[in-house]
Amino acid sequence: MSEMIDNVPLTEEEFLLNMGPQHPSTHGVLRLVLKMRGEFIEDVIPHIGYLHRSIEKIAENRTYAQFMPYTDRIDYCASMPCNLAWALTVEKLAGIEAPPRAQYLRVIMTELNRIASHLIYLGVMSLDLGAFTPFLYAFREREMILDLFEMTCGQRLTYNYMRIGGVARDIPPDFASKCREFTRIFRKRVDDYEAILTNNPIFLTRTKNIGVLPIKVGLEYGASGPTIRGSGHNWDIRKAEPYSSYDKFNFSVPLGKNGDVWDRYIVRVQEMRESCNIVDQALDGLPEGEIKAKVPGLFKPPAGEVVMRIEAPRGEMGYYVVADGTTKPYRVKIRTASFGNLQVLRYLSRGYKIADLVAIFGSLDVVLPEVDR
Amino acid sequence: MLELSGLFQWIHAVASGLFSSLGLSEIFLDIFLMTLAGAAIIVFLALMALFLIWWERKVAAHFQDRLGPMMTGWHGWLQTIADAIKLLQKEDIVVANADRPVHFWAPVVAFASCFMVYAVIPFGKGALAADLNIGILYILAITTFTVISIVMAGWASNNKYALLGGMRSASQVISYEVPLTLSLMGAVLMAGTLSMGQFVEAQGPYIWKWYIWPQFLGFAIYLTASTAELNRTPFDLPEAEQELVAGFNIEYSGMKFAMFFLAEFLNMFTVGAVATTIFLGGWQPPFPALSFIPSWLWFLGKSLFIVFLIMWFKWTYPRVRVDHLLGFAWKVLLPLSFVNLILTAIAVQIF
Amino acid sequence: MGYFKEIASGIYNLLLGLKTTAKYLPRPAVTLQYPKEKMPMFERSRGIVVLLSDPETGELNCTACMLCAKACPVAAITITQAKDPVTNKRYPKTFEVNNLICCFCGLCEEACNFDAIKLAGKYEFATSDKQSLVFDLAKLQELGRDVKYEKKRKAVARKPAAKAEPKEKTAAAVPDPEPQAPDSAAGSGDTV
Repeated sequence: MSEMIDNVPLTEEEFLLNMGPQHPSTHGVLRLVLKMRGEFIEDVIPHIGYLHRSIEKIAENRTYAQFMPYTDRIDYCASMPCNLAWALTVEKLAGIEAPPRAQYLRVIMTELNRIASHLIYLGVMSLDLGAFTPFLYAFREREMILDLFEMTCGQRLTYNYMRIGGVARDIPPDFASKCREFTRIFRKRVDDYEAILTNNPIFLTRTKNIGVLPIKVGLEYGASGPTIRGSGHNWDIRKAEPYSSYDKFNFSVPLGKNGDVWDRYIVRVQEMRESCNIVDQALDGLPEGEIKAKVPGLFKPPAGEVVMRIEAPRGEMGYYVVADGTTKPYRVKIRTASFGNLQVLRYLSRGYKIADLVAIFGSLDVVLPEVDR
Repeated sequence: MLELSGLFQWIHAVASGLFSSLGLSEIFLDIFLMTLAGAAIIVFLALMALFLIWWERKVAAHFQDRLGPMMTGWHGWLQTIADAIKLLQKEDIVVANADRPVHFWAPVVAFASCFMVYAVIPFGKGALAADLNIGILYILAITTFTVISIVMAGWASNNKYALLGGMRSASQVISYEVPLTLSLMGAVLMAGTLSMGQFVEAQGPYIWKWYIWPQFLGFAIYLTASTAELNRTPFDLPEAEQELVAGFNIEYSGMKFAMFFLAEFLNMFTVGAVATTIFLGGWQPPFPALSFIPSWLWFLGKSLFIVFLIMWFKWTYPRVRVDHLLGFAWKVLLPLSFVNLILTAIAVQIF
Repeated sequence: MGYFKEIASGIYNLLLGLKTTAKYLPRPAVTLQYPKEKMPMFERSRGIVVLLSDPETGELNCTACMLCAKACPVAAITITQAKDPVTNKRYPKTFEVNNLICCFCGLCEEACNFDAIKLAGKYEFATSDKQSLVFDLAKLQELGRDVKYEKKRKAVARKPAAKAEPKEKTAAAVPDPEPQAPDSAAGSGDTV
């Protein structure tokens, strides 16, 4: 590590500090090089790529159906939206539409996974700030969601549940009752988390007016999802470009006011509540019918290119696929939310101390597999 | 009934008989009894430290809907012993260019100063090793040894982050000493004495005469300031893992690290014991009718309750940032403790 | 005035936090003590790959049609086919599942038309010898003996002798479904 950043040599009062790839509070393998002046951070350079697995290159050698398990692993905290985005992209390319039951099932699964992903965020954020207990409470609730998923598709983390044209399996008979039980319990549990954290004076001093992100800066860096909605920017792809029957559901999109760490926290907590509402509505209105449209075994979509994006828990997730008429795509480009969200870190953390850096980074909800793919 | 005073009288009688039959003078008897008392306290505290570590893990687990250690003995009560054996057989790594004498003596200072406090704590009726008439002052003076050991540890590690962590921790402990002392002064005014034995006497035999009710603010400030003294969440920034500056004890391994760790738990019990004596009536039962339960059991129960409160704080609250921590001490706790002192002084004059 | 109000609201919220954690103190644990208590797996749990046999005759259902090997995204399945000269039935001569590569996605189970391969709910296979995690036919069949399954799919009658039947077919990688035409620069048959 040479004593230069951006080819500007360091002055005498500055020094470089390395938050190495293995560190308890960088959620994943991320190396942050901090340029410090005494206690204060002047610059943060993230070094990424420790988790690069060449998923985009692998996609060129797999058929469209075979690529589905790989999409699980792009963001394993929120696998269902990644699956869904791939399915929707290929369906858009080939002009297939999933049957209504499949669309509702997709919505249920995606929203449950949104809750699970935000629970991880909640637990890890409070762990970073020193409150050890909400982490375990969040994971206890997450166990219930994972049981629901395991009941349906057999796996707890990398589901491989969506298929091109629909979903893999129908929900088992006791899914609906267990799911409603979960949403009923969960609403009270969210109140518990809020009692421990939201108005706690210690939490407030750690998060209020820390890491304020102006909307313009966020958009320039490509931030999306709750990161930018915490600053008040009203953009949710489920409302703006509805996909998979989201326009049939009645839900609101929580927005923050100041764009500080607390606002991003409260946006995600309220999103969890909204997701509960969506799941209940979807279960109420679940239509009968097929769960998968007929897709030929040797699936060759027409040549062309397509872009499709969805609202993943962390932000905007999308695929850009170039097809050449064969069974395998010619090029797949994956646009993930955490990549844009991570770029904001450099802007946000200038002038703060390391303790604040931990809080800010936690609030961006970055998972490294999404950044590195 | 099962009072300690009976046991002590029996020991005194036996020992004096033995010594007089051997023809030794009084002074040897005194030295022997004092050594015995010291040894008894040390053994009790060592066992208490082991118990407290196990209890912390169990309490933390039950707050988090899980069970904690279960495999070693009934509900894992041997877990601490297993951990101690593990730490004993670890290699004692001393960093290159470290200041070796200071490195060696820092955990010793931390650990030894824990025990010294217990000379003046009344464990039960007639179970007070040395009823100094400056009891409280002695306790406050000894608990300040922690700062010395932290600074020694931070300095001796030859590691700028340990030094920073040590300095930060030292500033935290020093800042919180002031509200701690002042909060106890309110109770001192009410009792009119600094002696611990007389504190227990002054808090009459009934629960409504305990000093916690008039001195509630003092008790709250004492508890908060003690949590900061102990470097526990919400004030454990100096030893948090999530921060880079990982604290004064990062370069310690094996038994030396265990000494710091045990010292923290023993200090927790000290805080509980002092709070019990000053605010909760010491070894007295809430009503004289309940005095069939021995007094040392009451003392233990009350102290462990305070320890439980401190553990409860740890597993509920997030961490406070260092500048907020100092701001909190100087801008909130200190004025409140002054208010408490002034009000108490006025009230004592009037009533 | 705001100073005292802040302190009061702070104290109230701190006590609220304490109350919330205390609520969970008397509740029983939600964890299981693993080696002694194990969680019962769901019916659809995707664990290790097993080969299913007919419950009455004990014979393998598999006809070595290679659909699972083709469907597998990571090429964890290797099959060689043989034909019983007496009954004219196809069966797998060797069937290897490399559990070091398998990602437990379940695409093989979906591709099978003969109820021959399934992902059972078994998961305790930790070992210190890497090679023992490549399961061969005997092991797969043995693991699958106590796995209950429903005959959901009827065996699809294969068109009789449409192509010349080679005695042995080997599928070892992700093959091109179409013949080896220089179609894409994406390469073919790359072993993962």
